[in-house]
Amino acid sequence: MNAQHGPVRAISRALSRAIIRSFSSASSTSSRPPQSAPAFPFKNVTKLNFDASLAELRHHVRASDFVAIDLEMTGITSAPWRDSFEFDRSDVRYLKVKDSAEKFAVIQFGVCPFRWDSCNQSFVAHPHNFYIFPRQELPSFGTSYEFLCQTASIDFLAKYQFDFNACINEGISYLSREQEEEAKQCSNLTYDGELSDMWCNLKDVRDIPLVSMVDILFTERMKTKFSEWCDGLLQDRRGEVQFQRTSEDSKQQLQVVFFKMRPALSLDGFTSHQLNLIQLVIKKHFKDLSYVSVNNENSSLQHLVVYTDSKDDLKLLMKEVKDEQHKGAEMKIQAAIGFRHVIDLLSSEKKLIVGHNCFLDFAHVYSKFIGSLPLTAEVFVSSINNYFPHIIDTKMLLNANYVLQQRMRKSSTSLSSAFVLLCPQIAINSRSTHPASDSCVKVEVQVNDLRSSSWNPGATHEAGYDAFMTGCVFAQACSHLGIDFKLHEPSENLAHKEQLQKHINLLYLSWTNGDIIDLRTGNKVAESSGSLNLKKRCPVILFENIVLIWGFCSKLKANELRECISKVFGVRSVVSVYHLDKTAVFVQFSKTELVSDFLILKDKLERSDGPISVLHPLAKLLEGGNTCAASYDTYKEICGSPISELLFADQARAVGIKWKSKLVEQKVAKESEQDENSSEENIAPSSSKKVKSLNVELKKQSTLLHCVL
Amino acid sequence: MVSTPPLLRRRFLCTTVSKNWTVKQVTKSNFQESLEDIKNHISSSDFIAVSLQKTGSYSAPLHRVLSIDTPEIAYWKAKYAAERFQVLQFAVCPFSIRASNYVIAHPYNFHLFPRDELKIGMPSYSFSCQTSYLTATAREGFDFNSCIYDGISYLSRMQESAAKTQMGNPIPSPDVIKSSSVPTLADTLFVQRIRSRIKHWKNTCKSSSLKTDEPLLWSIRKIVLGNEEYRSRPCMTIDVCSERQVQLVLEMLEDFSDDLVPLIIPAKGGSIQAVRVVWTSSKEEKELFERELQNVEEEENKKIRGFREVIELISASQKPVVSHNSLNDFTFIHSKFIAPLPPKVDEFMCSLRMVFPYVLELNILMKKIGPLRKTTNISAAISYLKNHFLAPIDIEIPHKVNEGKVHGHNALKICLLFAKLCSILKISPSVIESGNEDLAPTLKGLANIFSRFSTNLEEPVDGNISFWSSSTRKVMSEHLVFLWGFKGGITAGMLKGLLRESHDIFSREFDVKLVDKSTAIVVFWQPGLSQTFVDIINSDGISGSLRELVSDGLKGTCYETYKRVCRLGLWELNLAGSLDRALMKTDCYLEDDSKRIQSEMYWYNDDVINLEEL
Repeated sequence: MNAQHGPVRAISRALSRAIIRSFSSASSTSSRPPQSAPAFPFKNVTKLNFDASLAELRHHVRASDFVAIDLEMTGITSAPWRDSFEFDRSDVRYLKVKDSAEKFAVIQFGVCPFRWDSCNQSFVAHPHNFYIFPRQELPSFGTSYEFLCQTASIDFLAKYQFDFNACINEGISYLSREQEEEAKQCSNLTYDGELSDMWCNLKDVRDIPLVSMVDILFTERMKTKFSEWCDGLLQDRRGEVQFQRTSEDSKQQLQVVFFKMRPALSLDGFTSHQLNLIQLVIKKHFKDLSYVSVNNENSSLQHLVVYTDSKDDLKLLMKEVKDEQHKGAEMKIQAAIGFRHVIDLLSSEKKLIVGHNCFLDFAHVYSKFIGSLPLTAEVFVSSINNYFPHIIDTKMLLNANYVLQQRMRKSSTSLSSAFVLLCPQIAINSRSTHPASDSCVKVEVQVNDLRSSSWNPGATHEAGYDAFMTGCVFAQACSHLGIDFKLHEPSENLAHKEQLQKHINLLYLSWTNGDIIDLRTGNKVAESSGSLNLKKRCPVILFENIVLIWGFCSKLKANELRECISKVFGVRSVVSVYHLDKTAVFVQFSKTELVSDFLILKDKLERSDGPISVLHPLAKLLEGGNTCAASYDTYKEICGSPISELLFADQARAVGIKWKSKLVEQKVAKESEQDENSSEENIAPSSSKKVKSLNVELKKQSTLLHCVL
Repeated sequence: MVSTPPLLRRRFLCTTVSKNWTVKQVTKSNFQESLEDIKNHISSSDFIAVSLQKTGSYSAPLHRVLSIDTPEIAYWKAKYAAERFQVLQFAVCPFSIRASNYVIAHPYNFHLFPRDELKIGMPSYSFSCQTSYLTATAREGFDFNSCIYDGISYLSRMQESAAKTQMGNPIPSPDVIKSSSVPTLADTLFVQRIRSRIKHWKNTCKSSSLKTDEPLLWSIRKIVLGNEEYRSRPCMTIDVCSERQVQLVLEMLEDFSDDLVPLIIPAKGGSIQAVRVVWTSSKEEKELFERELQNVEEEENKKIRGFREVIELISASQKPVVSHNSLNDFTFIHSKFIAPLPPKVDEFMCSLRMVFPYVLELNILMKKIGPLRKTTNISAAISYLKNHFLAPIDIEIPHKVNEGKVHGHNALKICLLFAKLCSILKISPSVIESGNEDLAPTLKGLANIFSRFSTNLEEPVDGNISFWSSSTRKVMSEHLVFLWGFKGGITAGMLKGLLRESHDIFSREFDVKLVDKSTAIVVFWQPGLSQTFVDIINSDGISGSLRELVSDGLKGTCYETYKRVCRLGLWELNLAGSLDRALMKTDCYLEDDSKRIQSEMYWYNDDVINLEEL
């Protein structure tokens, strides 16, 4: 298997998109869209038109029968060894998806509600293409936002003229539910704290020794100014002269304002040191004045000296300040929710959501808009099921149903090829040559007030278009499954259709080895035998028979490795050797016991420096002295780490693995229990080991035949 | 006072010019032609200003250099950023200063993108982006599309050699050095066998070249006899299975040196797979072929190096490089274009000096002008100097650019500021004026000092560093204790009060500052107390209210733990998490420096650690 697996999904789409284009160019004899038909407008949503579009989308989603979605991300795998492999156990697969969703950003989100229009006997689709960007809208909230880009994915998006400028400049930002909660708590804390802080500040102002003459003079000057002003205020009460500004320059620095209906002086242009001195003066000499710092509209700090009548009045003032700040913060949080409103809408309307191979998409939806991803797939899917009770995956649908497989004529189930095959009338921009046959579900695309029955956006690669294609494929697949939309009542929920029950809420956990997860139960389902998933004919992998070896000499090839292990444990001991990257391999043994035998032997060889260990067949593998080995569980442990080094050997080191061999514990215990003197036997294949069951053994034998190196 | 009118006029001129500064924007499409231009400009200029536009600068506020950081830690933090983020634009501006106020500059902005041009998974599998940094860059009018669509790719020196073996292109064999070891019987047999094969093959080549075969016959012969060809010359591949055999084959081929050219074909793992022998019909033909090979290699190198060609040009010129925040920029340059960053700061400085002998940091010059000490922004510094000093500088940009793009002036601003600073500080920057080919002595003294903690190569990094402020109080890193696990929302003052009542040790003079919301540092002004305190807090025998605090989760550790966090990049959401993680990894094998390096820091009386920044 190649290392470059990351953007495979995207690339296969691109290929089929190229096919679409060649089709359309053949029919229109020019690669450009025909001049007569001006390009159909694309509904791009950025922060500039978000509010209006959201209102419109709300209306469309409510009226829709289902909503198709698609995401564009900045990358898929954070390191080559985190790619999707056949050797992924389902829990490991989830950890890989989790890592991807946590590290990469979603930069475009396609949402396309489909509504059955019984008058026109066709679906009406409203594709929306949202540019989103994880811009940090709330100041000083948590750590700074950061995301990873996979060079190949970004380059791929660039080839399809993805508009990065629009995304960064005008992308809609968002807050997940978790972030919103945190931000609220944070603001509660700061504003509750602010109150106490303000009190504290008064008590807490350190006595700065007034060493310099400048400080002393400044303090005195301020003292007189404040007392003059206070006196003036009191006199004013008695109906006499107002506070007179004495000097010209203080006019700018001290301005009489009203703060919460109370007379106040706004302090401008003082240094922080001077402000400290002022605080000190006020604290020491003025009972009626208090020092307040508030954020003004421009979110810059404003310093004020406020006059209060009494202690109660001061308390009241503090409360008012606090409430206002709190309200302001709340407003800001509400505004920062941004794109999550769309997700909340999809969730609250409980519509049928359609995606294509969308497990990763939902992991992104969860981590970006709900909260941090749970540690296990089971918890994750049950939570997703809570938010989105009806999800259908078109890839799942196309592979699971015999009728559809026939339709697909065993071609690839990538989104674009499915679209071309199932919905030619929409894909190919020629209404005349493809009269809509009975089996074809008509779909009209509507953007603003324009409608069209076919849509080919040309060379662009937009999530909105992918969502549209997904929806079309789904509508067509439904029709092949025997759902007659002509009899469809608008009140009826598509998700409850009998024909879909076998497919709903099932997602591919891993397409590579056909692991399916049921969102309702969290159970893993094996792919049905009639599946089109042809490359999955590969034998069952016994994870307990696998040893992970890394850090060996990089020149060592898989067959050399197999050879040197076979020399020790017997010709048939190694079922397969699989390169994770150039620094690590999985070795699958024919028996589970061989795993611990291998680890013990390796450990023993490394402990002794004698000539035997140099001449030993395994010496080649241990060359360099950095070779590490462990059971499959260590791979899971390493996949769970947030670190992503490029090479697996570096990753293991970064994760902090210090040992060279991790012996399988219970096995070791068993070994020593059995007999001490049998340790020599480790060198020879231990034929004396009990055969667990004949059944398992047979399976392994067949495995042996299947695996070709 | 100098007569002001002409100067004022000039100043006016200078400001108006700055609005029309045109910078040559270089992308993939015009890179080759620009390379020729910049080569000439570099050789005709005295200095080279560089400035980088990146995808981020720090992942968390703590990753910025704090005032409690030693130079070593500053390097680790810069290293951490350089390894994560990507360079999107590299501004290079070769310039000369003539007659103290006249600058001739040739600004270029190279747009970069780490595209995998050779499909070998290099230069970069992935990179991080800091959203706030990208947003700010976008606000300045940076065109991400042009950078990502048409950016120039590159490979570092290290990656280049890896790429060459990975691509498996034949390499002309190096000169053969006769091995001293006595040939074994197997060797002799091997050589004999190969020799006869070559003789036979050479004869066939000769005879067939005399006959003018018809093309059809020639191709049939090729198919039937399995004749190989390399660059339309007959060749033969000799498989080898060890380095020793390569040596033997090359030695043997010396005898045929007038018409046979050996090429080495590397295997994927870096070893040699085979030796390819190419037959040339005559001596002239052989020379021609060798020249051809050389050209091919040069072309190939250009393709592989990409933008790094510019770095090589700057390096080869040995001219002083002027930059701002050199520690950050040069850690990026080193990691992207030279080799991965070494773990130690002095190794980095050594390695960097091999490539760029003189690096001039603007911050160092700025510190010589009192009020500019705290300024880190180039534009702010320029406007300050403009308002307070009469040092008008005229900038001339000789090359004309047709495009109307006027953004990306950073490198030009560096030239301008450098010229202004030199003029104000009365440093003669002109190489010609100072009389020798080398750098002016004053500047030479300032070269290779990195701020913000003047990491000077000449003096050991752990030595005393003379610093400027009078309002600071020296503190040894040893005297610091990190405390965390206290109640959220607490202020430094409150914490100080709590501590004062908790234990006798706090009856001496001490200070408390918050590093972030989770962690505080305690400074004991009396030597030795910090260690005592750490021992107390981690011992079983604590009592009183300190015991209460510890029971509530208070933890304390010495400066070494913080250093470990920075060196190993154990960054968590907050410093408390990082310190916890570092304490868990105490037995880490990377722990090599048992010697405790004493580092001095400066403790300001007012807030050193700007809490707004944290």
